[in-house]
Amino acid sequence: MRWFRFALLILTVTILQKGLLARWSSKPDLLVIFLVFYAVHYSTSEAIISSFTIGFAADLVGSPMPMGPHMISFGLFGTLLAYLHRVIAIKRMPYQALAIFATSVLTGLAAHLLAHIAGEPITANIFSVVFITALYSSIVGPFLFMPAAWWMRIRTNRFGRRY
Amino acid sequence: MLFTCFMLTGFIFLFTPQNLTSKFQLAFIHVFRWPLSIGGDLALTAQTKKPLDGTFSRSETQYRNYIANLEQMLAQERKKFKKLSGLYNTYVWEGTDFALADVITATVEGSRNELTIACRKTVGLTKGQFVLGNECIIGTISDIFPQISKATIQLITDSASKIPVKVAGLPNIMKGSGNNKARIEMIKNEIEVGENVFALKKPGFLDAPMIVGKVAECNRNQQDPKLWDITVVPACNIEQLEDVAVIIMNPPK
Repeated sequence: MRWFRFALLILTVTILQKGLLARWSSKPDLLVIFLVFYAVHYSTSEAIISSFTIGFAADLVGSPMPMGPHMISFGLFGTLLAYLHRVIAIKRMPYQALAIFATSVLTGLAAHLLAHIAGEPITANIFSVVFITALYSSIVGPFLFMPAAWWMRIRTNRFGRRY
Repeated sequence: MLFTCFMLTGFIFLFTPQNLTSKFQLAFIHVFRWPLSIGGDLALTAQTKKPLDGTFSRSETQYRNYIANLEQMLAQERKKFKKLSGLYNTYVWEGTDFALADVITATVEGSRNELTIACRKTVGLTKGQFVLGNECIIGTISDIFPQISKATIQLITDSASKIPVKVAGLPNIMKGSGNNKARIEMIKNEIEVGENVFALKKPGFLDAPMIVGKVAECNRNQQDPKLWDITVVPACNIEQLEDVAVIIMNPPK
């Protein structure tokens, strides 16, 4: 893993998520897309570190939610996805879209649940918001994998199961 | 092990009081405020429409409202400062204190004419003190309620009001007649309409004569046609007063 490139990419994506995309009510979650990208392209330990780091970044821009829910949910489901990738290779774009959709729904719901446990009120339209975000992310996500792979200097023919 | 450590960190963040953890979020926004604002500008350009009030984020709306409230408070304080500095810089008011008060209700209809005011400080207020509104005497303090920081003012036009005045150099007693009017009876000379009526100085309450009203009508007395009765109206529009100043001649040290 090229950690400097990883840090730069996640920082840029976080700023984009909070700045450029914040004005739209319905938008893809770029951080979830990259969570899936790192979970399926790197070793399990690297996937765990990157998942929690991306979760921390999501918490930084997740105001008014408290810190922690995204870190836990992203870390948990990113790790699970990394272990799942050992068994099922997520190579083709439809599978990547499906993985992004499922991860986005699960992390979104888990983050809201954890925030509720921490004392935050649950918004009325949470299910529709999570579903729409997951849908947009799954549509956009697979197309971002190629530039992300180029940036991280990953050879695309190296896609496959990692042990 | 790695997973456990990160999970533990996440839970520590989650259950730490939000006023502490929100500092991370604020620090991020503070450090990257410039690229974040560029992102916002680009998004607005892409949307090709001006932001409406409802499109601002919650924090933006809060800040905008907070600033608007501060501006209004500042304007109000400036207005009060200007008013007080004008009063304090008058020679005759040397050593005098003023209690600024906001008008809550004004009743000028019927025989009972009074104002209810909200005073920030009720220390030094006593019954009978004169009250200024728009630089003229409008009445005297009739009741004080220090527990709720309120007081009532008996206006010069109240039917129970009697204050010594002078008009055209002649001293007399002005009686309130209700309906935002007062009367001075049995004047020897005819007085021109529009002539100023001044409250006479009253030791301990008023050190110099001050305008209270203007002559609105001058008619012959019905019992003695050689004398005149005049009708006086207040020198300011009492119904439109927003704040008043109570004159405290001997303020407690």
